[in-house]
Amino acid sequence: MGAWRTRRVTAGVLAAAVCGLGLVACSKLLTTAPEAADLFDSPLEGLSAADRAAFVEGDAQFARPFSIAQGLGPIFNNVSCASCHSGDGRGRPENSLTRFSLGPDPALHLGGPQLQDKAIPGAHAETVPAGVDQSLRLPPPVFGMGLIEAIPEADLLAHADPADSDGDGISGRPNYVLPPEFMAAHLPTGVPALGRFSRKAQVSSILEQTVAAYHQDIGITTDFLPVENSNPLASSATQAADRVADPELSAAAVRSVEAYLRMLAPPAPGGQTPARERGRVVFGAAGCAGCHVPAYRTGAAGIPALANRDVVLYSDLLLHDMGDGLADRRPDGQADGREWRTTPLWGLRVMRDFLNGQMFLLHDGRARSVAEAITAHGGEAAAARDAYLALPESDRSALLDFVESR
Amino acid sequence: MTRRARGIARGAAALGCLLSVSCGAASGALAQAVDSVATEARPFVPGGYDDKPYLTGLFGRIAVGGYIEADAVWERADGVTEEAGFLLKRWNLLTSSRVGNRMQVWAEVEFEDGGSEIVLELAQIDLELHPAINLRGGMLLVPIGRFNLAHDGPRNPFVDRPLLATDVLGSALSMPGFGLFGVVPLGGEARATYEAYAVNGYHDGLLLDSPDGTRLPLGAQNPEDLNASPAMVSRIAWNPGERHELGLSAYGGAYNVFRMDGLDVDERRSVRVLAVDARTTVLGLDWNGEAAAVSVEIPSALTGLFASRQAGFFIDVTRPFGHGWLRGMPEAFLSAGARFEAIDLDRDVDGDSSTQLTAGVNLHPTRGSSLKLDYLRNRTRDRFNNAVEGAALKLSLTTYF
Repeated sequence: MGAWRTRRVTAGVLAAAVCGLGLVACSKLLTTAPEAADLFDSPLEGLSAADRAAFVEGDAQFARPFSIAQGLGPIFNNVSCASCHSGDGRGRPENSLTRFSLGPDPALHLGGPQLQDKAIPGAHAETVPAGVDQSLRLPPPVFGMGLIEAIPEADLLAHADPADSDGDGISGRPNYVLPPEFMAAHLPTGVPALGRFSRKAQVSSILEQTVAAYHQDIGITTDFLPVENSNPLASSATQAADRVADPELSAAAVRSVEAYLRMLAPPAPGGQTPARERGRVVFGAAGCAGCHVPAYRTGAAGIPALANRDVVLYSDLLLHDMGDGLADRRPDGQADGREWRTTPLWGLRVMRDFLNGQMFLLHDGRARSVAEAITAHGGEAAAARDAYLALPESDRSALLDFVESR
Repeated sequence: MTRRARGIARGAAALGCLLSVSCGAASGALAQAVDSVATEARPFVPGGYDDKPYLTGLFGRIAVGGYIEADAVWERADGVTEEAGFLLKRWNLLTSSRVGNRMQVWAEVEFEDGGSEIVLELAQIDLELHPAINLRGGMLLVPIGRFNLAHDGPRNPFVDRPLLATDVLGSALSMPGFGLFGVVPLGGEARATYEAYAVNGYHDGLLLDSPDGTRLPLGAQNPEDLNASPAMVSRIAWNPGERHELGLSAYGGAYNVFRMDGLDVDERRSVRVLAVDARTTVLGLDWNGEAAAVSVEIPSALTGLFASRQAGFFIDVTRPFGHGWLRGMPEAFLSAGARFEAIDLDRDVDGDSSTQLTAGVNLHPTRGSSLKLDYLRNRTRDRFNNAVEGAALKLSLTTYF
């Protein structure tokens, strides 16, 4: 009986060992990684080991949520960068930011240009003042920013046609913006710079966007902007509710996020099919490519992986009048209340994977499909929209399939 | 009325009676109900502070013991290795000392994560007035659910503690407090127990120190009551037999500083927890489970980011087998089990939740020691409700000493 038990135990131990080895060997049991091309937070190909290390550090900073004890607030919108940019892609309507102003006046005395609707205990959240111009903004995706930054300015300006001198009805123009004072060490002061980022191309550099987002969205002061953003309509006592010493974040941490954003790769587009190729042709023929310029090529760049690369973003990054339907009647830099920067068409293929199966398109997420977004186009895009609507069903489907494969 | 029905009726009556005790209405009727010595001889909390293999006789009236947990972990999430290494998770020292017939002192010092955290988890003085009425003061294990009262590594059938305990409630949860506890025999093997304490309670670190939304564990360390407003916590349990228990716990108290220097400086905001726990043995399987619901009053300017409602549960099923199978280890036996658990850290949004399944096999060289091998599979959802798939292999060697 004893020998039988010993054999049984031995067999049991061996079986357990085999199972254990099987677990180790079968990586599926310990989860598998999605394809890098299907993600919004993959690094560019060709980065050096040092750049990859910086990428990982920046990723951690980007994902880092702030507690109240760490400096969150006093007024804010969310607790981290990643809290608004789902998987580093776009946000959802409930993460939208409200921008407001009085015409061209950013209404700083009323708490503009952005509504902070959250506040730490002891502080007062802002509410939208009466009589201001307001605009709802869905957080945009943050991948591909380094590639956009590396496109030579002259190449972007080559597509500008402010006076519509070619008579095609499309008059893209650049948004030149004055860099804020905290950028003085990086850009010449008082000299307008070409805006490339954000919904109205009102931001000219990744660093500026990063610093402003920490300050406005999370209420985190940095070496660049060391004074808290507070509710000017609240008492001075409640403005001081955040008792964490400023600056709350070092320049090094901000720069690591800047580097991370610069090195984020856009997701790869879907595979080519005859239908998609047909859709691409129809896309051009309908006039969509007049603003959604298929590709640029980067110039020299500090990071070799960014230099001399094709950037297939389907955008001219210029401002266009999009008509009354999309107008927010709120100027931003040189952009007026009817103008928006052409949104790059990338990442659409996997957007649903990061938004719980849904799509939120256009600046405020109102469109739940590419077709809805196209239909909402107006102004300079009215002709292309009408051309799309006049297409035979098969061509329209091919065009939609092509766009959604981007 | 059958004998079982009579037992249930008596148990229900006793629970009702104990509820009134936990609300502070001490009852002389309790003393009349005490008629059994056998039930008093059982540990007050099976697997808890008075159910450990202490070494006795070494230092006179002081008994000493402890336990140790050493883990090896391989954890991955979405195919990326998050952790692969070793951890001296805990080395705990336990003491108990009987100071006269009616007074006893219990203490536990925990060295956690290789000594990076040293915590006085338990240091309580018990004064017995009557088996049904005992005074207790000191650093107490807060009786929210049963797991917090009996969470030692050698007794936990799995490597990890349940997510409900660690992520929702903050186990091991101990707080300074004062109150009453006792045992009420109900005839035969049946008994009821109660604990009712005033404690310092959770503090506003659950909001202020948390970057991830409402997190009770970050407001658990409150050695001096920061808001000068004690919380109340109580648990009553019905034990129809040694292997069966049904417990109900409630906690309530303000967590924020709402008054300073006699001035009202904020609204009073409370944490409330309701928990139910049960264990039993059916068909040779040991079942153990717990569920809790948490409600936290949140400042209006933080709603949407900080949860006002949380919940979670776990259920374990284990079966011991193989007693005497191992030559040279006559006490040894094996056990196998599974745990399913889920927590929702913000019931007001779709995400911010986790589910986890654990399957484990244990070798117990003695009753108080285990070699555990667990495979865990989990799905965690962020506040966008995007899922991350996680898995882990965990090995743990743990024993009382």
